[in-house]
Amino acid sequence: MFAYYVDLAWRSLRRSRGLTILMVLAIGFGVAASMTTFAVFRAASGDPIPWKSGKLFVPQIDSAGPGNGNTDNEPPQQLTYPDAMALMRDHRAVHQSAMYRLGVSVVPDKAGAHPFNVDGHAVFAGFFPMLDVPFAYGSAWSHADDQHRAAVVVISSHLNDKLFGGGNSVGRSINIEGKNYRVVGVTDHWDPKPMFYDVVNTGGFTTQRDDVLIPLPSAIDANITNQGTTNCSRPSPEPGFVGLQHSTCVWIAYMAELDSTAQVSAYKRYLDNYARSQQQAGRYDWPPNNRLRSLPQWLDYMHVVPSDTKVSLLVALGLFVVCLVNTAGLLLAKLTRRSGEIGVRRAIGAPRRAIYAQFVIEAGMVGLTGGVLGMVLTALGVLAMRVVLPPEIADLARLNVGLFALTVLVAMAATVLAGLYPSFRAANVQPAWHLKSH
Amino acid sequence: MLKMTHLSKVYRTEVVETYALRDFSIDVKEGEFVAVTGPSGSGKTTFLTIAGLLETFTGGSYHLDGVDVSHLNDNARSKIRNEKIGFIFQAFNLIPDLNVYDNVEVPLRYRGMKAAERKKRIMESLERVGLSSRLKHYPAELSGGQQQRVAIARALAGSPRLLLADEPTGNLDTQMARGVMELLEDIHREGATIVMVTHDPELATRAQRNVHVIDGQVVDVAEDRVFSTSQLAEHSPA
Amino acid sequence: MTVHPIIAALRRHKAGVILIGLQIALTLAIVCNAVFIIGQRISRVDRPTGINESNLFLVTQQYVGAPSSDTKAGADKLDTMELEDAAALRQLPSVAKVSVISSMPLLNSAWNGGMSTKPQAKSGFKMTTYYFGDQNMLSTLGAQLVAGRDFNAGDVQHAGFRTDAKRPVVIVTQSLAHKLFPNGSALGKTVYMDGSGSPSTIIGIVKRLQTPSTSDWASSFAYDSTLIPTRKDAFFSRYLVRAKPGQMKAAMAAAHDALFKVNPMRVIDDDMGIRSFASIRAEAYKQDVSMAILMGAVCIILLALTAAGIVGLTSFWVGQRTKQIGVRRALGARGIDILRYFQLENLFIAGMGVVVGLLLAIGVNQWLVQHFEMDRMPLGYLFVGVLVVLVLGQLAVFVPARRASRVPPVTATRSV
Repeated sequence: MFAYYVDLAWRSLRRSRGLTILMVLAIGFGVAASMTTFAVFRAASGDPIPWKSGKLFVPQIDSAGPGNGNTDNEPPQQLTYPDAMALMRDHRAVHQSAMYRLGVSVVPDKAGAHPFNVDGHAVFAGFFPMLDVPFAYGSAWSHADDQHRAAVVVISSHLNDKLFGGGNSVGRSINIEGKNYRVVGVTDHWDPKPMFYDVVNTGGFTTQRDDVLIPLPSAIDANITNQGTTNCSRPSPEPGFVGLQHSTCVWIAYMAELDSTAQVSAYKRYLDNYARSQQQAGRYDWPPNNRLRSLPQWLDYMHVVPSDTKVSLLVALGLFVVCLVNTAGLLLAKLTRRSGEIGVRRAIGAPRRAIYAQFVIEAGMVGLTGGVLGMVLTALGVLAMRVVLPPEIADLARLNVGLFALTVLVAMAATVLAGLYPSFRAANVQPAWHLKSH
Repeated sequence: MLKMTHLSKVYRTEVVETYALRDFSIDVKEGEFVAVTGPSGSGKTTFLTIAGLLETFTGGSYHLDGVDVSHLNDNARSKIRNEKIGFIFQAFNLIPDLNVYDNVEVPLRYRGMKAAERKKRIMESLERVGLSSRLKHYPAELSGGQQQRVAIARALAGSPRLLLADEPTGNLDTQMARGVMELLEDIHREGATIVMVTHDPELATRAQRNVHVIDGQVVDVAEDRVFSTSQLAEHSPA
Repeated sequence: MTVHPIIAALRRHKAGVILIGLQIALTLAIVCNAVFIIGQRISRVDRPTGINESNLFLVTQQYVGAPSSDTKAGADKLDTMELEDAAALRQLPSVAKVSVISSMPLLNSAWNGGMSTKPQAKSGFKMTTYYFGDQNMLSTLGAQLVAGRDFNAGDVQHAGFRTDAKRPVVIVTQSLAHKLFPNGSALGKTVYMDGSGSPSTIIGIVKRLQTPSTSDWASSFAYDSTLIPTRKDAFFSRYLVRAKPGQMKAAMAAAHDALFKVNPMRVIDDDMGIRSFASIRAEAYKQDVSMAILMGAVCIILLALTAAGIVGLTSFWVGQRTKQIGVRRALGARGIDILRYFQLENLFIAGMGVVVGLLLAIGVNQWLVQHFEMDRMPLGYLFVGVLVVLVLGQLAVFVPARRASRVPPVTATRSV
């Protein structure tokens, strides 16, 4: 019976060609506009580490004091160096790492090759197991390397390709800012977007890729300065990078892994106790004002998804709704013209559900065709986005089978939805109608 | 075969109640060819729509092929229309998008018949009406008489127990009308039960039995035929 | 012609009328808001920077193996290197002016701070962005001084990147001056930066100079710039270069080679190292421009769709009423009467859609104001939106209505 309805729908669509083209175009453009913006939105709002994002937390400690810059009494978004080091020393989470952003020059061995800049982070050993960083070669450095301020480095597969031709470079050394570091690990195409572990310094979405990861104590020792945001509520008492380390300026990002709710509440208590002890020691003259946000909460709080992305998605959805209303109207008009045929079919013995099925399938076919058109337009739209949008956002909107399948599915589902009322009306056409010929 | 007893049909609006049929009784036996005649607005079309299960009735009873059809739901009624009744309309009512073959196929499709069986029946019934050479033609490409033959083939294809015809020659010229009428007579001779509604007295004489309807009631007096049509044609429709 | 028969006819096509009305309403609501967003973005992109933007480019470079700027010796060494670079650039024949500078408008790399009229202030700061550089900053930027004087060579000092030096003299923009001294001239007045106790004297006032940041959070002080005559010594430096007219390309190419000639141990990024101001501007507003393009595309698709919908539905109604139209024509209606009938009918439907659409448009805007920090839409946008939708409806209905007006009266005599 299904094949019969498909055949009927095909005839009917072919008969009113102009109208069919209009409906297909409406659905195609509507679904393409929605799916293109959705592709960007989904990429921008996706969970960068879905398997454990709920276990990752960002602690905030109020080092600025009430009314200092923040109107809503929120503590600073980063930690001061002393606070971050105290948290590292106490080691209360399963894994934890303080971090800061680097921009360093790498001098290649090869004679005649120019030095070049790479981005990276200074982190602790806990960073790697905490974020499940995949390794192509070697592994993370050890806690002992942190303590001994070892000159070791984990490099990206990208940098490994550039410096060592992609081979196993573990044990070899690279010159960073004039000092040699021994490669202990090469990450395996690890480049999360957004760069969720340090959204303050990277803004989340960035064209930047971390090519080098160095133990934070070693980076401090080597006087490798931070490239990120530094926020000071008071001027540093001492000049220079050392002065920054002693100041109340915030510039250190921090992340901790807490595996159970018990651990989370224990960690909260710990933060409060720490802040209270600092208050008692006279470092802060205000009561504890801490936050412990989970990664999803943190990304939301930091507005990592650009609001333009959200607004465009809404507008595109609005456009899609209009396309549906348009299609519903045209299907209804079409039905009105065909009520004679429906009356005859009913008289000949077609039950209501047969008429209903016939019209729903016709709508579904419009949706299918519109969806295929939408698929092509979505591909064009995503490509156009790459031209028009800033690269750090546009790069995210990837074309894949899933997106295409979703486009067709959404188009069909939506058109069938739009066709429900017209089909309902069609199924209720009285069989007697056309008999009144006198 | 078709038995209506004291049947009534009332159209109600906010202000008026109009009786389209009143105390209407008729009994058509298997294999009969009955002509229902009457002037415009007499209720004969209402009778036909009720007989064909296209509309419900208000009071009385209606048995079709021994089955009481008064309490059937829409689905069951559709099924009976599909399997037991064949319709022949004045305006042919062929579906313009479908060619001859596909038009005849429509009732068989709704019966869920296998393709081979459908084909056999379609060919048989088109042969019966003498149009087996026009399978691929669309209704617009056929003459009125041919269209009505296709409509008859469509009605026959499902081997209905009862054929209902509504002014089958009303839209045809004399010559074509004669051909269609002869076809119906042939079909009747082969054993079909036919109920035909017409206001054409000449056509009615071709039937075995005439039932005359005036003001929604059966007036079974064949001799009154000429008188009633001329007198009551002036009545405004109910 | 009275309205009564139109309403009667519309009541018989309730679902169709509701759908087309709804479509018009939604279109109006979305188009108003989308056009408003476009308008806002355009006015953002169009706002003046206060500088002379032609023939201007920026060099960003980084020294390899540079000494630490935290020590006096390191800072001195870096400063010498910067001065050598600037001198080399200045000698190029295609170059008109060069300034050592920390950032520039729209670059989105900023050094922000708080300014107060009181020493060691804890609150009441006015947010500002600092431009650090030499005495050529203002003249190379091409910003206009409205009061006081420009820096001279004697004002300029240098300091390590993270080292706080005293700032005896500063130049501020008019906008910042008004915020600091609402009741009088700021010229010659003393201000204090970032809660420090060391005074700075305002020696000049610039008419307009935009800050580097184009983000929303910095929009409240977008024109509150402060110029400080201090070269900030770091492992990286920036040089603002104004090329001689028509020699921009030559100057950009020559700058690259000249710097490597001075000192090969440096990194100048292929893409971001030497950039014309035009490309800096394009980069800064890329998001705004793309949003405007996207909203524009949505508007065009929507209006086309709605026009097509009106044509489609009206065509059907015309088809359905052909006989009726024939009867009217037989009874003496002229072609123009039929045309008017359908146009009036459309005006009626569109009118109802517009009423609903206006409420929706305001509601959507209200919602965007609440959730996305957008501005309230001025009523002008609604007015124009209504006009556009009504005219579009009339144009769309014209095609099928004209066909209706050509239905011959003889149609009335034909059977169905």
